[in-house]
Amino acid sequence: MSLRGHLKSANVLVETASFLVVRLGGSYLALPADGVHGVLTPEEAGLEQAVMATGTLYQPVDLAHLLSVVADLSGLEVRTVLYSNGHSHGAIRVEQVVGLTDVERKNCLPLPPQFRCDERRWFGGMMLYEDLLVLIVNPAWMLGELAEVVSVGARETPQLVADSPLTVGGSC
Amino acid sequence: MLRAARGQQQAQTTKRSWNVVVFSIGGMKLAARTEDVGGVSPWTGSIPVPSRTPFVQAMQKRDHQVMPVYELANRLSRTLQGDPLLCLVARHVDGPMAICIDAAVPSLETVDAAAIRPTVSGDLETFGSVTIGGDDVTIVALQRLGRLG
Repeated sequence: MSLRGHLKSANVLVETASFLVVRLGGSYLALPADGVHGVLTPEEAGLEQAVMATGTLYQPVDLAHLLSVVADLSGLEVRTVLYSNGHSHGAIRVEQVVGLTDVERKNCLPLPPQFRCDERRWFGGMMLYEDLLVLIVNPAWMLGELAEVVSVGARETPQLVADSPLTVGGSC
Repeated sequence: MLRAARGQQQAQTTKRSWNVVVFSIGGMKLAARTEDVGGVSPWTGSIPVPSRTPFVQAMQKRDHQVMPVYELANRLSRTLQGDPLLCLVARHVDGPMAICIDAAVPSLETVDAAAIRPTVSGDLETFGSVTIGGDDVTIVALQRLGRLG
């Protein structure tokens, strides 16, 4: 899979946003593609949770746990997505990589206001992809949680770290 | 003048009686104002959404429309009955919301506004309760569902 080629084409289409669509449990999630640095098979990712690739250490992000989703991460289609926002780098294991897609920004919908709690920070919106409902993950939150875990572990005392500014709406 | 008088008369008539849709969840009869119901159709399943909002943990897709699902049966600790189950679309203040109800086809009733009693239990958004066909039926305020607490 050549992610670079897709990213180049995304730059040409000003009115679209590119996403990598993945599956965790029964949920389909979209990661903004400009942060995707690679997709690894379990063999490529190795046994360690953290992944070193091209000189960058990608810390593990347990997205299933963060979202309280029951996921089977032992299947043949499990992949590790290397993700970075430029500041933080995460290795995210998903059950399946569904595909890359370009979505017209007008087709990215906000989360309905009836969802009132933490999920508003988790997701920047939603979209339809090949008849699937896909939730657009807020990468700042996803990688911000990673920073929180690392910080607590390093200090050995629980300390809340302020979340990164939301990119809700800016994800698409 | 005549128009105003007619309008007033109509308003009084509206106040005197309510048109409600009577439906059931786990065999428990409930009602909703007809104006708060967007429609009833077969239940087509729901898509789970990771969420911490109580009773809002899924969405339903119909054609190109997506709406949140409110788990009223779960909130009432009831198990839905019958097959195929039905979908009642609530006209919520925040937008349409799907509610899975029993397979029993809802009916339309007109109730006397004066017969509506305040609901004793305050754990559900309601307009009160009324006796329909010998059953004590709670009138659920679908517009405000999920707004308590």
